[in-house]
Amino acid sequence: MAETALNDTRAPLGITELRAGNWRLALLVAVIVMTVSIIALPGEISFWVSLAAVLFVGLSIVINAWGNSPGPLLVAPALALLVVMNIFPLMWSFGLSFFKFRVNRLAPPKFTGLSNYEKILTDPTVWDRLQTTAIVVVLTVTTQMVVGFLLALLFEREFPLRRVLLMLVLTPMMLSFVAVGAFFRFYYEPTFGLLSQAVRVFTGEVFILQATPAGAMAGIVIADAWMWSPFVMLLVVAGLVSVPKYLYEAAEIDRASWWRKFRTITFPYIRSLLLLALLFRTIEAFKLFDIVFLITDGGPGTSTETIAVYVYRLGFQAFRTSQASALSYILLFVVIVLTNLYLYFARQRDAQV
Amino acid sequence: MSTIALHNLTKRFGTLTAVDDIDLEVSAGEVLCLLGPSGCGKTTTLRMVAGLETATAGDVVIGGERVNHLTAAQRNVAMAFQFYALYPSLTVADNLAYPLHAEPIAEAERDRRVAQVAEVLELTHVLRRLPGQLAEGEKQRVSVGRAIIRDPNCFLFDEPLSRLDVQLRETMRGQIKEVLSNLKKATVIVTHDQFEALTMADRIAVMRDGVIEQVASPHDIFAKPSNIFVASFIGTPQMNLIPATILEPTQGVSNFDIGSQHIAIALKHRLRPGDRITLGIRPRSFELVAQQGPETILADVDLIEPMGAETLFHLAMQDHELRVVVDRARRASVGERLAVRFRPEHTHIFDANQQLMQP
Amino acid sequence: MAWRKRREIGKAGWGWTGFAGIISFIYFFPVLWIILTAFKSNADVLSVPPKFLFTPTLENFVSVFRRSYIPGQAAVDTGFDLFFFNSIYIAGTSVALALVIGTLAAYGFSRYPLRGNDTYMFIILTTRMLPPIIVIIPIFLMFRLAGLSGTYTGIIALYTAFNLPFTIWMMKSFFDELAPDIEDAGRLDGSSERRVFFKICLPQVRAGLAATAVFGLILTWNEFLFALLLTGIDTRTIPVAMAQTIGGDIGVRWGLLAAIETLFLIPVIVVVFALQKHLLRGVTFGTIKR
Repeated sequence: MAETALNDTRAPLGITELRAGNWRLALLVAVIVMTVSIIALPGEISFWVSLAAVLFVGLSIVINAWGNSPGPLLVAPALALLVVMNIFPLMWSFGLSFFKFRVNRLAPPKFTGLSNYEKILTDPTVWDRLQTTAIVVVLTVTTQMVVGFLLALLFEREFPLRRVLLMLVLTPMMLSFVAVGAFFRFYYEPTFGLLSQAVRVFTGEVFILQATPAGAMAGIVIADAWMWSPFVMLLVVAGLVSVPKYLYEAAEIDRASWWRKFRTITFPYIRSLLLLALLFRTIEAFKLFDIVFLITDGGPGTSTETIAVYVYRLGFQAFRTSQASALSYILLFVVIVLTNLYLYFARQRDAQV
Repeated sequence: MSTIALHNLTKRFGTLTAVDDIDLEVSAGEVLCLLGPSGCGKTTTLRMVAGLETATAGDVVIGGERVNHLTAAQRNVAMAFQFYALYPSLTVADNLAYPLHAEPIAEAERDRRVAQVAEVLELTHVLRRLPGQLAEGEKQRVSVGRAIIRDPNCFLFDEPLSRLDVQLRETMRGQIKEVLSNLKKATVIVTHDQFEALTMADRIAVMRDGVIEQVASPHDIFAKPSNIFVASFIGTPQMNLIPATILEPTQGVSNFDIGSQHIAIALKHRLRPGDRITLGIRPRSFELVAQQGPETILADVDLIEPMGAETLFHLAMQDHELRVVVDRARRASVGERLAVRFRPEHTHIFDANQQLMQP
Repeated sequence: MAWRKRREIGKAGWGWTGFAGIISFIYFFPVLWIILTAFKSNADVLSVPPKFLFTPTLENFVSVFRRSYIPGQAAVDTGFDLFFFNSIYIAGTSVALALVIGTLAAYGFSRYPLRGNDTYMFIILTTRMLPPIIVIIPIFLMFRLAGLSGTYTGIIALYTAFNLPFTIWMMKSFFDELAPDIEDAGRLDGSSERRVFFKICLPQVRAGLAATAVFGLILTWNEFLFALLLTGIDTRTIPVAMAQTIGGDIGVRWGLLAAIETLFLIPVIVVVFALQKHLLRGVTFGTIKR
């Protein structure tokens, strides 16, 4: 079954060959049509023309892939939906990023080449927000790795009621960002919030966590780390329980110390999972939006405004649509690189286990 | 002195009794094999000696000292595991050196001992490799090497050869035996393979259902199995066990009713007419005869299995089957009726309680 | 030392339960406090110092779904009955659609690999990994042009696409684990490919389907940004409504908010307990199995 698709020996179609399955030609035509339509036609019409062009390419790819195998038929609906709802909007906004366009103005898009990218990359605000994001990523991911690892050492053991207690620890991860944001906003509330009241017992003064940039940052990091440390724990526990028990027995016979056992037996088994947890959480922390939006709204000032929040402001509050698109593409690139790394290591580990 | 002694050792897992009140002694320089079918408690016994399981009752004595309360590390025993338990992230050299890190010795000395052990076990060319890159036989030698690199109180081997193919197993049996004979330590080897036990052991302890059925030298365990279980467990093809009833003796010759026919054999055992016993005869103790007589059994050839130098005949004798090994030169065809005879001195007699009767 | 002990005995005792219990309690405390807050009267919620002992009341839960009147103030229409319905309807429909489309695709990717199968799978995962803020701009424009903003159709279509990558990766990982011998045996017995899929493969991944559906429901139910920008007043979902409740800084009704969150928590806790076995796979979108 599977071989028919893999051992497809049909010669690839030449790009100029006029056939329904020649998706390279279709893609070339579509790109030209899209570019022309965006330049020449009003926004609304050019949008529909572009969508049609993309669907044309998709159809061509499916026809091309059609062999004796039902594979393409099975995946076509899913791919079609993803193309329409994800890939096409991305491509369209990729096109937009080369134009001057504001969604709240009626003016048709004006081609400006790379000037949006130039603006974005030379904008000190962007670099400042990237810096903020980097701080959030480093702090929250480090905290999660440490806390998650310690939790894993605790929950790797078999003890009575383990499943019940594990449930308590795993719950935060499954909550909505909005719920977590609301919780922590409630706890950070200056007069009756739990944290403020607890601090007041010691200092006697009103404590407003979010009054200082460092405090606000801490507030975000604590909330996010609280929510996602169990994720790291889950991965580490998976690594810890995959260590064959006889290795520890052999080490016991060989009179190895606790540290030696950890270094030579345990760590090699969890190394790959730690790396995966690190990458996964980095990707997630990089796009941190909801918690920041709800707890500090980027404040005080713009001290906790992450890049995701900035794109939101740029796109939906300042309505610099095409600039926001350009910035999005820079972020997209980062995420693709990280995702690629993640998958590479995930596959590597899969092969080992 | 490197000795092991077990007194009334018992291990229960919940309601299951894995090891039931066993006594055993292994002297210095002696190799003892715990032999038995899977689930008989032999591995549990070994793990209690190692300190990986706690005994429910009874004592483990190593080198004259009661060690029940000591951890595996404190008992200073060396053990080779069934699945080798090589540390996957360490090279062969580091695996071999692993037990030495607990001892206060210089790095140079450590390297010297690794080199020495690698030399003995022919591992020198793979010292830099990781366990995952080794062949099965090399892994096995590393696991043995990790045990013998130390100077422990005793050696324990858990199914050391079970994962090797037949040819490699034969080579390794000899090699391990040679290495062990130089070490002069009490050694316990757990195995389910009788050849392994017969070739490597000084003494064999056959276990069944948590109980030791017999402890004896490889020769005695084959020649004088103390009960039907041991008799049928040791030796291939399996010993023939023929239920028989004793009849009145005639002129000092015992007569037996074996169901379909009567046979007469001169035996020194004290046998009472009417008793039900089991005759145990090894397949190689038979000879085919041309003439039918009072001491012969008549049976029809049912199946012929050539085994190389010899041939195994399955003979049908009414409701019973006889396994007879003959020289490969002896041919027969299925359905042919043969007369076989066995020598009285090679006959084992088991009483109604399945125990061996002494002559 | 404790480590060593466990390895010997294989099990830790009640001592560990106690220690883990304390840690778990601290970890769970923020959630617990919200649950407690949900049962407090308005005065108790705002009391200084915080009250650990109070007379529980259900008034917050009642007012989640009802028009409520606070003495001396104007009537407040929460509208949460509609928002709850929206959340359930939108999440339920889109997860069901994604499950059907995604399971077929996962089976295709697993059993009939296309040329560049890994690339397809990578692109699919990327659409899930990328910050929603990147896609939201073009989708927002597209919805405006297509007139889908604020409609059920629009948000359901978007959420279906949003759930697809997750569903495909999860279900592919389950299909990949099945022993192919059984399917081949089925084919040798003359089963059609359709029969092999429905009668042999699907029954074996029932647990996987359930896990995928439930994780999909939680992910969708929790989603905030798309809902914030693409739903209208009639199609608003719970997370958006909650955010708007705290958005206006003055007079946030914390008790009410806590009650909404508590209602939301209970199914989540049940799910976490029931799906512990598949949790690792679920939270890594099926990229890590064990």
